[in-house]
Amino acid sequence: MTILLLVVIGVPALGALALALAPRVGDQLAAEWGVLVSAGALAGTVVLALGFDRGDSGRMQFVTDVSWIAPINVRGHFGIDGISLPLLLLTALLSVLCFVSLLRNAPSCGGTRGLVVLLLLLETGVLGTFSALDLVLFFVFFETVLIPMWWVIADWGDPHDMPGNRRAATVFLLMTVTGSAVMLVGFLLVYAHTGTFDMVALAQRGGAGIPAVTQLVAALAIGLGLAVKTPMWPLHIWLPDAHAKAPTVGSVLLAGVLLKMGTYGFVRIWLPTVPDGVERLAPYLGAFGAIAVVYGALACLAQTDLKRLIAYSSVGHMGFVLLGISTLTTAGINGALFANVAHGLITGLLFFCVGGLKDRAGSSDFADLGRGLYERTPRLAGVVAFACVASLGLPGLAGFWGEMLSMLGAFDPGGALARGAFVTFMAVAGAGTILTAAYFLGLLRRLGQGLPSGPDLDDIRVDEVLTWSPLVALTVVFGLAPGLVLGLTNPAVQVLMGGGG
Amino acid sequence: MSAAIVVVLAQAIAMVACLAIGHRSEPAVRVVAAGGAAVSWVAALAAAGPHVGDALASDGSYATVVTGAIPIEVALRVDALSAVMLVLATSVALAVQIYSVAYLHDDPRYPSYASIVSLFTAAMTLVVVADDLFVLLVGWEAMGICSYFLISHHWELPEARAGAVKAFLLTRMGDVGFLFGIFTLGSAAGSYRISDIEAGVASGDLHGHIVTVGALLLLCGVVGKSAQFPLHTWLPDAMPGPTPISALIHAATMVAAGVFLVARLYAVFSASQAAMTVLAIIASVTMLGAALFALAQDDLKRVLAWSTVSQLGYMFGGLAVGGYTAGIMHLLTHGAFKALLFLAAGVLAHGVGSTSLAAMGGLRRQLPVTFVTMTIGFAALAGVVPMAGFFTKDAILGAALDAAEHGGPSGTGSAWLVLVCGLLTVVVTAAYSFRAWLLVFFGKGPAGVQEGSWLMRGPLVVLAVLTAEGGVVVLAPGLLGETPRPGLVHAPIAILTTLLVLLSCALTYGEWWHLESGDPAVSLGRLRRPLAREFAVDEAYDIAFVRPVESAAALTVDTDRDVVAPYVFGSGAAAMLLGRLVRLSQTGRVQTYLTVVVLGVAAIAASAGVMAS
Repeated sequence: MTILLLVVIGVPALGALALALAPRVGDQLAAEWGVLVSAGALAGTVVLALGFDRGDSGRMQFVTDVSWIAPINVRGHFGIDGISLPLLLLTALLSVLCFVSLLRNAPSCGGTRGLVVLLLLLETGVLGTFSALDLVLFFVFFETVLIPMWWVIADWGDPHDMPGNRRAATVFLLMTVTGSAVMLVGFLLVYAHTGTFDMVALAQRGGAGIPAVTQLVAALAIGLGLAVKTPMWPLHIWLPDAHAKAPTVGSVLLAGVLLKMGTYGFVRIWLPTVPDGVERLAPYLGAFGAIAVVYGALACLAQTDLKRLIAYSSVGHMGFVLLGISTLTTAGINGALFANVAHGLITGLLFFCVGGLKDRAGSSDFADLGRGLYERTPRLAGVVAFACVASLGLPGLAGFWGEMLSMLGAFDPGGALARGAFVTFMAVAGAGTILTAAYFLGLLRRLGQGLPSGPDLDDIRVDEVLTWSPLVALTVVFGLAPGLVLGLTNPAVQVLMGGGG
Repeated sequence: MSAAIVVVLAQAIAMVACLAIGHRSEPAVRVVAAGGAAVSWVAALAAAGPHVGDALASDGSYATVVTGAIPIEVALRVDALSAVMLVLATSVALAVQIYSVAYLHDDPRYPSYASIVSLFTAAMTLVVVADDLFVLLVGWEAMGICSYFLISHHWELPEARAGAVKAFLLTRMGDVGFLFGIFTLGSAAGSYRISDIEAGVASGDLHGHIVTVGALLLLCGVVGKSAQFPLHTWLPDAMPGPTPISALIHAATMVAAGVFLVARLYAVFSASQAAMTVLAIIASVTMLGAALFALAQDDLKRVLAWSTVSQLGYMFGGLAVGGYTAGIMHLLTHGAFKALLFLAAGVLAHGVGSTSLAAMGGLRRQLPVTFVTMTIGFAALAGVVPMAGFFTKDAILGAALDAAEHGGPSGTGSAWLVLVCGLLTVVVTAAYSFRAWLLVFFGKGPAGVQEGSWLMRGPLVVLAVLTAEGGVVVLAPGLLGETPRPGLVHAPIAILTTLLVLLSCALTYGEWWHLESGDPAVSLGRLRRPLAREFAVDEAYDIAFVRPVESAAALTVDTDRDVVAPYVFGSGAAAMLLGRLVRLSQTGRVQTYLTVVVLGVAAIAASAGVMAS
């Protein structure tokens, strides 16, 4: 069974390779191939989930551990626990949905085959990132994702603004590469004092043997690299353009899974490896997180472009995730992990909807989309309204529990963290939820309500029902039964925090 | 317990079914919506039966959600309080669903409307039977979003859009405090279950400022939900929603949930004199202020909206001075007569085509059923003997008098405040009720107005009977299982309020007669304009909150463009790289360069690795 994890990670890359080498593949066939390969990966992930011992989700399972670069003790170490499994499933699911949506929505600029190849590569990169248990391996997968995404944004982005796509893609790439370089320095600092890149071993050491100052520097370096990816305010500046310019599938994957690589890194690597450094930096991370919630919401209030608005909403949602992590509590980290999954589902859904609208109207600007969508396209508008309500964190839908647990963590932060500061962050984030509600309701008011006007648009199509309904269903299911995710993450987080388990 | 689950589930299933059927078959939607409400109502009676008048509760926990801290339990509880609330909520919901079949007969948005009304009722009943604060919160907030969608039912109207957003945002403002209150009490009690928190207070484990802080934070949510000062402005602006929705929101759900919550956590609130004093002050300010606003309104629905705010103030006042049973009973009788008044107002709106008082008049002959039933409703609102509202209001004022003389949970000072404001409000309430009644049914008005269908008149008659006879609930002081059973009838107060009502009505009638069927509100003179503008609280909020947020939003966009971006790009080597890269990108060689960058990173990695080994 342990080989299955490697197969799941490898299948999309092999599929990409086969497609790239195959002679003369049409657009439709390429998309079908993408569906097939990613469905295979999803099936494999589901089998993994079924075979996963949920009673013992704090333990690494399906572990492969072989020597890779012996001189510097780099290992091919893979495995998953309750922290990685939900993200693995999310990645595999969103990938399939993206390919299904490509079946009917071939990019107008053509070249579906290239896009499918890149997206499959990207999937392998993300799956690998979530399963790698060696810092170098993690880094390799982390970087693997960048280049395909650069191409996806630059070449398949907004057909009306090719130079803008290039600029957005380049800013994205440069910022993340710079961040990664800094992160790598942090990894090497850790290695210099411990002689190992093994993430499980490093987590068990809990920073033993690394001097306090080094821990601080390493935590800063690793944290910065991950913060760019997440992105943390004020390093978010690459995000709005990248999301807004990317094609629909690019935005969905970017928001749905790529951002999670940063927050996952925070939980998996940053927290347990250099805990002393982390404890000193955590208040800053919490502060930036709380600011992000308010700042992101304010920025959303001022947007005139629907896609940009959704992009900015990620800044706020990721702020909640960072706040949860910074509390150094099991509840806060569980909340962060839950919010990761919820954001992947809900923002993925929002980008699918917005992408559908943009394809129909040729623009995602409010002025071009018109008003009264509740009447013009009632079903599509209904899904948009549902997604907005979920995203503003209504209890009973998935968006709420992660944010609530983040704030609960801040209410009573762990370690030697100053409670007054974190309660302040909690209150600021709480105020942010009101602003979040304000911009989402503002969105519905401008777009859904009002006297119908604007271009003729088709209502929801069958392929859209197929791709969107799993996201809607899971948003409801996780909203009503948050224990499905929390039951998986909690034991693993407790192991990570050294709380037994 | 299982009956309580059926109450919630029947409505939830009806919601999904209505949405699934949609426009394919509107008759089927009607059957499902009304049928779901009927099933819920029957189940509510079954669930309530064993608990009315019984202090014992039955509860059960069905699942546990780990959080990493204190777990959330999917726990339900039915006791005497939930029993009467279940009956109230499901009865009004049933009346509203039946009435809506006729009221929204030709409305293309009926399927989604019926679906949301079902969800609304499911949410309210979940609040009522929840024993875990997070389960309660799910219902609490689901009601918020349902009211948002229902208020914006006519979303082509700007005032409907604005009113809906305002309702959601103001209540959510309070709910943030509510959530932090849950954190506070839950962490202190080691459980989010209401029964555990109550036990903690009873045993003395939970005491002191933590209870006060928790209670005050919960109170934020209550004030928002029940539209009390200073978050009171959303309820009158919610009037563009369909009239049956107003009946639902005002009588049995949403605003009633705030009163219910204070009653549900009464042990916690009464353990903190500070919280009860704050509640008493808020209630006093709100009951009198809202009644005065009601006096100056030109729109019937707006008069009724302010009357709800004012009557809720009575209920909170009653709870604050220790009149637990009195407060809840007023919630019940108010539920009956306010549902009646709104549904009757719906008949008027349906017939006249407007809810403006100026458009009405002399309707008593054309709408006899509405006239008689609405007269009963107004009489109950004004507290005319022997209508339901008279007895329960009397019980509240009696409790206030008791507390003022002998001390109560909020202290004697605030009990006096409740008593004085309560008596003044009696005068104002009688005046605005009598004024509205005169302006609608007497004087000159439109011709050719038709009575509603039997589907609309039926609920009116049933509610009118309940309103007329409902006062007998005060003869059952043990209804809520409270021991010792409080005496609910206070003769001195009853005589005093009756005299006040007579005086007030006489003055109002005199003014109306003197003006030859004119609007008695003109006698407010220079007070009328500020009252009609509701003391410009909205304008103040606009200046204090809305505009600063708008400026801040514009500022963030500028900040991202002019500060954050250059700051990030301009820092050190990254800026140089970027500068070169952007130039390169224009020559089309960017791919080459990026490859170099990534390879460079890998090279750094390799060399650093060699150095470290």
